[in-house]
Amino acid sequence: MTLRVADLRRRYGAIVALDGVSLEIRRGEVLGLLGANGAGKSTLLRTVAGLQPPDEGTVTVDGVDLFADPVGARRRLGYAAEEPSFYEELSAEEYLAFVAAVRGLDPEAAKARAAALADALGLAGRTDEPVQQFSHGMRKKLSFIAAVLHRPPVLLCDEALEGFDAGGALAAKRELRALADEGTAVLFSSHVTETIERLCDRVLLLRRGRVARELDRSAWGAPAPGPSPLEREFLALEGTTST
Amino acid sequence: MSVTDPAQVHAFRALARRLARRRLRQLDLRVRIELAAIALLIDGFVFWQTRVPLDGLVRAHGPAVGVLAVAAGLAALLIAALTLAALHHARRLEAGPRGPEWLALPLVPAPLAAHLAGESSALALWLAAPAAAILAASIGIVPVVATVALALAFAPLLAGARAVGGSIGLVLALRRIPAGGRGAPIERVLAVAAPRARRRRLPRPAWRRMPAWRALVEKDLRVTWRRGALRRSALMALVVAVASLAAWWLPAELPLRHFIAFGLALVAAALLAQWLVALSGSDPFDTLRTLPIGLGGVWGARAVWALAGALLLVTSHALVARELSPHALEIFLVWSGLAAVGIGVLGVNYGVTLFPRADLAERMLGLSLGLAVAASIMIPLSGWIVLLTAILHSARRLPRWSRLEAS
Repeated sequence: MTLRVADLRRRYGAIVALDGVSLEIRRGEVLGLLGANGAGKSTLLRTVAGLQPPDEGTVTVDGVDLFADPVGARRRLGYAAEEPSFYEELSAEEYLAFVAAVRGLDPEAAKARAAALADALGLAGRTDEPVQQFSHGMRKKLSFIAAVLHRPPVLLCDEALEGFDAGGALAAKRELRALADEGTAVLFSSHVTETIERLCDRVLLLRRGRVARELDRSAWGAPAPGPSPLEREFLALEGTTST
Repeated sequence: MSVTDPAQVHAFRALARRLARRRLRQLDLRVRIELAAIALLIDGFVFWQTRVPLDGLVRAHGPAVGVLAVAAGLAALLIAALTLAALHHARRLEAGPRGPEWLALPLVPAPLAAHLAGESSALALWLAAPAAAILAASIGIVPVVATVALALAFAPLLAGARAVGGSIGLVLALRRIPAGGRGAPIERVLAVAAPRARRRRLPRPAWRRMPAWRALVEKDLRVTWRRGALRRSALMALVVAVASLAAWWLPAELPLRHFIAFGLALVAAALLAQWLVALSGSDPFDTLRTLPIGLGGVWGARAVWALAGALLLVTSHALVARELSPHALEIFLVWSGLAAVGIGVLGVNYGVTLFPRADLAERMLGLSLGLAVAASIMIPLSGWIVLLTAILHSARRLPRWSRLEAS
């Protein structure tokens, strides 16, 4: 297993946000996380990302215990936040160069990958601007690029594609699929069931901090290949190919 | 809605109460106890420094002069409160005050302006602590009636000073925006404070392989250069450091120049530490905590600045303070160097252990250094013990880094 979460519990005062959540994701699997507002999706993802300690439970990332060796686990993690935060005064490229340096990536390879991702997601030509000038969607795209830059064994996406334009969302979904094909385990949280249906191999339904149901692809059938009719219209307007 | 809508006034009062309660709850018990203890010690210092001279004054000139002296002390604190409120409010209005999109709400300007001024001037409430110490020091020296009367008068006067300070702050903020425009003054200021779209481009960075701490150091330089508050903070430390060097050329006796140079060197070190705390506060929590940077990397990146600052200070004084005898120079350099390193490390420790609460870290640093200075004035050299204790205490909390979360 690449990501193993066992009996995770977290309370905020009297509110139980996570009530014994356990899950496992294999290499190359995309696990969807569905749930109403307040079901515990973001708490689960933030806890697995190491942003908040749980009251109880363990998280193992690619064989590394997150709480025993947080730095080692974070090397293996990518996290695309629901509300990403940045060094606002840095340009997008400066930010990505900083992330690449901290992660110890090969500079030339990281630079090329960052440029390719920015191009695919529609950020090309804007990466020399300070992040503070970016719109919500552009910030989410930058967060996504930073999360996947090092091709992490485990990727956490918290409403990662929300705010993307249609072209960017398609490119991001392709990137997620490509990463999964390379062996990345993806935990993907979203409110958009259509995205989950197209992208995920398995889905957990969270309710009041507990895993209420678990479904696999056979439960909702194979999605139609390629972009939807609306997405095709958008891509035609933008002059982008859908391959 | 009238000019002073009672419902909105009531709503803002309720909001202020809730915010105060929430902020208090955000401080964990240990920090509350530490803050209370340090405030008490500073109160004790003010009490001691006031009571003896006041007693002498009353014995020499009578109780009426003593009452006037106490009133003058309180008046000075009120002026300080007013100034603090005005400057802080103007700065916050310029940057855009905290809270929702105020202009999107159907608010009457007067209660909104009062609420924002109250938020900005809450800082001035800290001056109630030395005021209490001055009043306590006057008990038994001036007539009790006078002490009680001054105490009763101080509370509303402090509220008044905060309100006047808020109004002055609004006027200051108004002077920084283009004249004219529609709406009440607070609405015009808020409209300009709203984020402005300004398209600019930055030079392409070099993608280099480097250790995490060095990447942080380079990033710190960039962010400091581009963020006004951080830049001002770093420049202020540099200016005071230069002033401490310039003290050696003052037209005064050598011991006095020695004293001024040492004092300013300590102030420069404190300002450097304050910048280091502000740097920690500039790190976005979610970004830093999801990157593989350990305690050593974060602490090391900031400690490098503290050590470099101390080294620069000591080296430049070694080159400039030629009039001191070799032995005196050696002592000066060792003391100022150790103090600069200690103060810098304290700033780094607070910045790391209280991350992402830079406001709290800055307050702790100020209180610790204030206490160290007060202790040194009361008992020579005891400030070193206070400084060392604060460093050790904060260092013990460093392992908390791996368990920190955004409050």
